[in-house]
This record gives sequence, C-alpha cells and structure tokens, in this order.
Amino acid sequence: MNHLSSETFKENARAALADVQLRGALKNATSLFGERRKEAAAGLPNWEDLRTQARAIKDDVLLHLDRYLEEFVRNAESRGATVHWARDAAEANQIICGLATERNARIVVKSKSMTTEETHLNDALEAAGMQVVETDLGEYIIQLAGEPPSHIIAPAIHKTRQQIGELFTAELGMPPTDNVDQMTSTARAKLRDRFAAADVGISGVNFAIAETGTIVIVENEGNIRLTTSLPRIHIAVMGIEKVIPRFADLDVFLKLLPRSGTGQRLTTYQSFITGTKRAPADEGPEEVHIVLLDNGRSRMLAHPVTRQSLACIRCGACLNACPVYQQVGGHAYGSVYPGPIGAVITPQLMGIQKAAQLPYASSLCGACREVCPVKIDIPQLLLHLRGEISPRKGSRAERLAFKMWAKVMVSPALYKMSGVAGRILQRVIPISRAWTNGRDLRPIESKSFHDLWSNE
Amino acid sequence: MNNSARESILSSIRTHLAASPPVDAHPVNPVNPVILSQEDPVTRFKESVESVSGHCIITTDTADVLSRIITDLKARRIANSDNPPNAHDIFGYEVGISTAQAGIAETGTLVLDSACERHRLVSLVPPVHIAIINASAIVETLGDALTLLQKKEISPAITFITGPSRTADIELTLAIGVHGPQELYVIVDGSK
Repeated sequence: MNHLSSETFKENARAALADVQLRGALKNATSLFGERRKEAAAGLPNWEDLRTQARAIKDDVLLHLDRYLEEFVRNAESRGATVHWARDAAEANQIICGLATERNARIVVKSKSMTTEETHLNDALEAAGMQVVETDLGEYIIQLAGEPPSHIIAPAIHKTRQQIGELFTAELGMPPTDNVDQMTSTARAKLRDRFAAADVGISGVNFAIAETGTIVIVENEGNIRLTTSLPRIHIAVMGIEKVIPRFADLDVFLKLLPRSGTGQRLTTYQSFITGTKRAPADEGPEEVHIVLLDNGRSRMLAHPVTRQSLACIRCGACLNACPVYQQVGGHAYGSVYPGPIGAVITPQLMGIQKAAQLPYASSLCGACREVCPVKIDIPQLLLHLRGEISPRKGSRAERLAFKMWAKVMVSPALYKMSGVAGRILQRVIPISRAWTNGRDLRPIESKSFHDLWSNE
Repeated sequence: MNNSARESILSSIRTHLAASPPVDAHPVNPVNPVILSQEDPVTRFKESVESVSGHCIITTDTADVLSRIITDLKARRIANSDNPPNAHDIFGYEVGISTAQAGIAETGTLVLDSACERHRLVSLVPPVHIAIINASAIVETLGDALTLLQKKEISPAITFITGPSRTADIELTLAIGVHGPQELYVIVDGSK
C-alpha cells in the first residue's frame, strides 16, 4: 500500500506538484465542484441564515454533548438498536470484529465511511478473517488499487478513467475500455454478487437524531440502501459529534450538506433508520448496532476554538475551495481527512507532533471559511494549532527581521527610507531562495504611493 | 457491554467542557422562510422530478398509464412492494413498482415509509422503478415532509428518493444507474 505520512507533508506536496496528470484531475474536479456549490447556494436566498442556524444548532449540541448523546442512545435502544461506546479506534474495531466473528460472518459489505477509514477498520476485519468489500464506486476503485481516499466525498478523484479502466481489466477481467458507463456496470454486477452473499453491512452516519434515535445516511448510488437492508446485521459507525437535537433540524442540514458537497438540491437517497424492522415491513436487518466513537473528539471540546472542528458535516467544500488542496490533492496530507478541515482535525486526532506540518499547509486565505456550511473558522483554528505546535517558532534571523520590520512600520521616517533602500537593494541582493523558488518576485515600483500622492 | 467505555467517554466530555473558557451564546435566529414559487405543488413536483432525470406523468387513470409503461418496456418479471418476493430474490426482476407516501415539490423527492411499503428494495434493485403517488400527498418543501413524518411515531425505515441512482466517481462523469435503477417513472394520481 502506498500510504504517505502527515509527517512528510512538504515532501509529499513537492512530489504531487510534479505530477502533471494529478494536477489536471484536481483542477477539473475542484473547479467543477466549486461552481456547482456556488450555483446551488445562490439558489437559496436564505443561504446565510441557514449557515448561521446550522452552526447555532451544532454549538448547542457540542455544549451539551453528554446530554444529547444519552438522549439519542435511550431512544435508539428503545426502538431495538444496540449501542456500543468506543474510546478509541482499537476499541471500535474490537467491538465490530467481535460482533462479526460471534455471528460467524465471512463477508462484510461496507458503504462509504470516513470514520471507519479513521479507525482502519478494513485491516482489522481482514485480520479477523473477513472478506471486506467497499461498495461505493469510488471506494471500490481505490480498494482495488490499494490506495486511501483522496477526497472526502469523491475518493477516487485523483484517478483518470484510463487508469480505472486498466485497473478493472486487471482486477475484474473487464474487456479493455475507458467508457464510464461500461465500467460502472461492471462494478455493479460484481458488487451485486457480494451484496447477495454478505452477512454484515457496515455504514457510516451523517446525522443521529437525539429526539427520535434515528440515524440518517445520505448518498447517490444506492449502495448504502443495499448495505443497510440486505445483510442480517447492520453496524453503523459514527463519531460522537454526529448527533443533532431534533428531527426538524434536518431541514437545515439536508439543505446545506448536498448543496455544499456536490451542488445537488438533495442527494438521490436519504435513509432514515430508527431501530430494527417491524411489521408490516419484512425487509431489513435483524440486528442494528450503532458504534459511538470518541477517538480524541471529546478532547476538542476543551476550547471554543478547537471545539468548532466538531461542527464539521464532512461536505468537502473546503477541499475544493483551498488553493493548497487544489494543487497537491488529498494524499499529500498523509491523513484520512485532507484539505483545510484535515489540516485542523488530523493534528487533534493523531497528536500534534505527528502532523505538525499540516497547520502550515495553508495560506490563510480564508476561502475555506467562506464556503463552510457550518461557518467553521478554519484559519483561526490553523493559527491556534500553530500556536500550540511551538509558541516561539521561527529562526533567529526571522525573529530579528520581524523586530526590525515592527520598528520600521511605526516610524514614518524609517518607513520612507526603507522604501528607497528596498529599491536599491532589490537589484543587488538576491531575495531568499525559499520565496523565489516557486514564484517570481515583482520589482518594487519606482515611485511609492506617498510620492504619487504628494505629486497629485 | 462495556459500561466503562460509556462512562469514560461521558466523563471526558464533561471534564473537557468544564475546562473550556466560556463563549458568548449565539442567538439562534429562526431562518426566514423562502417562498420559492407560486406554482401549484403538483406541477412543480413534475418539473423537479424531470430535472433529476426522472419521468413524471400526471394522470387520472393510473392503471392505464402503468400498463402502457410496462408494455413499452416489454417487462415480464415485475416485483411489487405489496406482494413481494423474498428480499434476496429481488435481483432477478426487471421492474419494481411501489407507492410513495409523500412527495416533495421543491426537490422532486419520493418518501417511502416502511409502515406502508413492505419491500422498499423494489424501488432500488430492478433496473426500472415505477412509483405511484397521490397528488394530494405532494407537499411543498422538505420541511413540510419532515413535519408530516413526525405526526405519528417514526417508522423504522424511511427512504427519500430523488431521481434514479447516480454516481460521478469516475472523473466526475455522471453515470445513471449504479447500484439502483437506471430509470424512474413517477405516476401522479390526480383522480382524487
């Protein structure tokens, strides 16, 4: 497996920048997603109100997370679901593998779940002797390729149709083609066979409703519906932050999530699952298990700035808007969660030392904050995390330079002199290579704004 | 079950929240309702279904429309949510017919409720799904549909369907009918 590490972000990014084909794919995808999001948001005149409301709901949930979780668990259990609590990834995997082995399961079908990517559940299930099949088309592609996802909602965004065609020919025996419909129907046929044979279906959760004990999962393909309907056992895995108070709150979130993610008014399918089946329905699993995962989340509650990370609804809009993600893609981040939200979540989940470069993988331009449907102030979070990494980061020369800069900026005379000096020095002294390696430095204008102003 | 995990997560939540500096509470402003259209909901529903690549027929003779669609499709193996095969036998069928308990005009969404539909997979597994809905069951907005669902105890499984199954996972190229149907017909029964 070709997994990069967060610790080597700079090297990963440099390699990604040299990959012309990757950058082409990223450019197409992020700009298309970005345009669609913009159009969809413009279609709702109360978009800003919705964002404000969504954030207020999330803030309320997070401030009373213990209470809402208990309410959710009580209601889900009273309707026949079984709830499990997992402090960390290992505990979650142990619970899930235990459930599967106790029931002699051999085949597990999975629908897309970032949370199970976070816990590396597939490795654990395979080690326990299960065959694990990802059923979302994008996830299926990268599972066949042995790669991690590179985008929260479009996991195989980094691959071209030619590469996928070759992969399907090699792995599935498909006659060579780069026709997307043909590839899709090949995957459909292969996966139907697995759905029919599966003992356990594992899904993620988009929203868990405290008031009713309902889990809501959104999708376009239909594989979540199959995963949660056909196998005898359904296991849903969710971070503890996924709970929302009321059923009616879905009105806000189901408007924001699809529009921000894919630009759709609504995704094709929403599944609302409340406990186990009851007559007259005779379709659906006999057992519904819900695994609540902490894995570092409760720690983020300890400060209002870090707490906002838990408001994220995993739409992926910040990835598409980010000038860094647009150039380097998801793998360079070396973490399950890429892009701006990944740069703030990963150091908090994995430990700041393991991902110390990620909070610097941003120009702090604020595009992520602008598109975030729950108004997470990602630049503020990045700065907060930079502060935690090292309060006195920077070389001695850098500190000296900033000290001098501060002196110059508060004195009109020194400021004027610096302009004159800068014009001369720029011609004789080369500016730091680190700056000019990837970009040009424009020569300073021969006349300053002050000069122009006084000449007027 | 592991009670200690539950206790330790809840106590970690409480401890960390207690340690947090206070924040100014955000005032929650109710969202301004948006009047999106003056059109009647049934017409809008049809437009919305068509905008997501579905077919929509408004009729007073549902039986006739249904038989014409099936004849045109030359379908022989037809599953139906009231008289269904075993869930695992559904794979061999060409057409699945269901009703829908509500429709949402602004999005073209069908709402299937497990309290009424014994087998919702007939709407997913066969390559063609035909849904029949009463015109009077069509509401304006997503919010209206959510309110409607809460009028009684919530059913174990509710499914919202907006158009046929789709994916854009390969180069963001739209492909219709990945795990679900390639074609969706919605018959709106306006006879009542």
